[in-house]
Amino acid sequence: MLQVRQASVFFEQGGGRIVQALKRVSLDLPTGGIVMALGASGCGKSTLLNAIAGFLPLSEGVILLDGMPVERPGADRGVVFQKDALLPWRSAADNVALGLEYAGMPRRERRERAEALLRLVHLEGFADARPNELSGGMRQRVGLARALATDPKVLLMDEPFGALDSQTREHMQDLLVEVWAKTAKQVFFITHSIEEALMLGTTILVMLPRPGRIVAHWELDFVQRIAAGEKAEAVRREKRFGALHDEIRTLIHAGEQVGSVQ
Amino acid sequence: MTLAAAKDKDQDQATPAGSSRPNTVRPRTYGLADRPTLAISLAALAVLLVVWELVTRFGLVQSLFLPTPGEVWTQFVAVSTDGYAGATLSEHIGASLLRIFTAAVIASSTAIPIGLAMGLNRWAKGLADPIIEFYWPLPPLAYLPLMIIWLGIGESSKITLLTLAMFAPICLSAQAGVRGLPVERINAALSLGGTRWQVLRTVILPGALPEILTGVRIAIGVGWSTLVAAELIAATRGIGFMIMSAAQFLATDVVFVGIGVIAVFAFTFSLGLQLLERWLVPWKGPQ
Repeated sequence: MLQVRQASVFFEQGGGRIVQALKRVSLDLPTGGIVMALGASGCGKSTLLNAIAGFLPLSEGVILLDGMPVERPGADRGVVFQKDALLPWRSAADNVALGLEYAGMPRRERRERAEALLRLVHLEGFADARPNELSGGMRQRVGLARALATDPKVLLMDEPFGALDSQTREHMQDLLVEVWAKTAKQVFFITHSIEEALMLGTTILVMLPRPGRIVAHWELDFVQRIAAGEKAEAVRREKRFGALHDEIRTLIHAGEQVGSVQ
Repeated sequence: MTLAAAKDKDQDQATPAGSSRPNTVRPRTYGLADRPTLAISLAALAVLLVVWELVTRFGLVQSLFLPTPGEVWTQFVAVSTDGYAGATLSEHIGASLLRIFTAAVIASSTAIPIGLAMGLNRWAKGLADPIIEFYWPLPPLAYLPLMIIWLGIGESSKITLLTLAMFAPICLSAQAGVRGLPVERINAALSLGGTRWQVLRTVILPGALPEILTGVRIAIGVGWSTLVAAELIAATRGIGFMIMSAAQFLATDVVFVGIGVIAVFAFTFSLGLQLLERWLVPWKGPQ
């Protein structure tokens, strides 16, 4: 269980101006859920993810993972980055095995586990390909497999499909649902796509900027139903899906308007 | 649609013998865009040789100042077999190569760790920066007398001079290599549980390697250009010494032989390091 309690982040910008990127954010990430943090750029969703990952210290507040405070990056929180942060000189399998290598797993075992993970993300046969021989979507799949390799308690996804074309993006969303259903990982996922948030989230958090804060949240069941075999297309055409989409969009737009006046 | 598809297929496959090759095109660009320049370079060299031959054959320039290509070649053969100034050409070359290699090894093994540390650590950067920034713009000839006063006229002063000249480009490039690394890669490694040392070994060092190799290539070039200065110090062997010695006797043809030998070796080294780069960093291609 990951808990964020009263997390605030202040940045100092040029000229000594202080900006509040996150204002007293509290949330619980339930085990086995997918929490989607949704909002326009500048709403603090990346700041929140970076703080949970341990890349960024909090100004105030605390983040607890199973009761222990989170202070630095660690293998208990896997991260999938927006831009592929793969090592270009390593093959796909060696990239996936990086965390296992750090943990001191023997080579043979590492390779087997990496190949199993590549199968999980449908990249069997690409174990020895270098990242520059793979497409953008395939690289993100390697990134997902790599983050899963150390069997983290939480999977943090930083707009991982944002740079992909819409076709690839849909495939990746299907894949994530499939992987999530198989591994029952707890996922924290940030996006600026309302549709993506609705398709993938068991919980949606809507965040607004200046200062970054959570203004609303919904519990959903679309993704559970898709994971159980319902057609994604049918779910997307549902009335409730459309109504929520409109409601969230109105909320985000209103928040942006207020922000731009300030 | 079918027509376009058929054309694509043609270009994917090697065109079979006999069939007409399609007119392939490339986007208009500024600059070179990887178009081959070898033929042009060879032609330019040939023109230069012909002009040299004509200028000397018709006596436009005295042979004392500019010997004919033939004379230089004859002298090259003579120096190779009989030697010049007490040593054969291969002995001169060997002495110079040994100095450059020794200096390159010492410079790389100190400059790479120091450069990496300067890219990573505030203290390392703060301590080393003023020293390097102070000495590296100096021409080696300017601190050559100091080397002689401190280290004498033996091999150590020559190798130290070369090492100092090679140190800065390698150190600065290692530092630049660290700075150019995307922060996501470091963060990714840390969130996979990597310790500082593991991240250094698996992410930072290989990531900075392309820059480091470029630095070594520049350093070897600097080494060759410092060589003549280094061999001014009471040397009895070395290509630089041979050139300086020949100049005192106005043996212009031997000077040309020496220059030619340095040019060929410097070019070969540069080419060899480029091949090494391609072998060590094959990922540094089009993404």
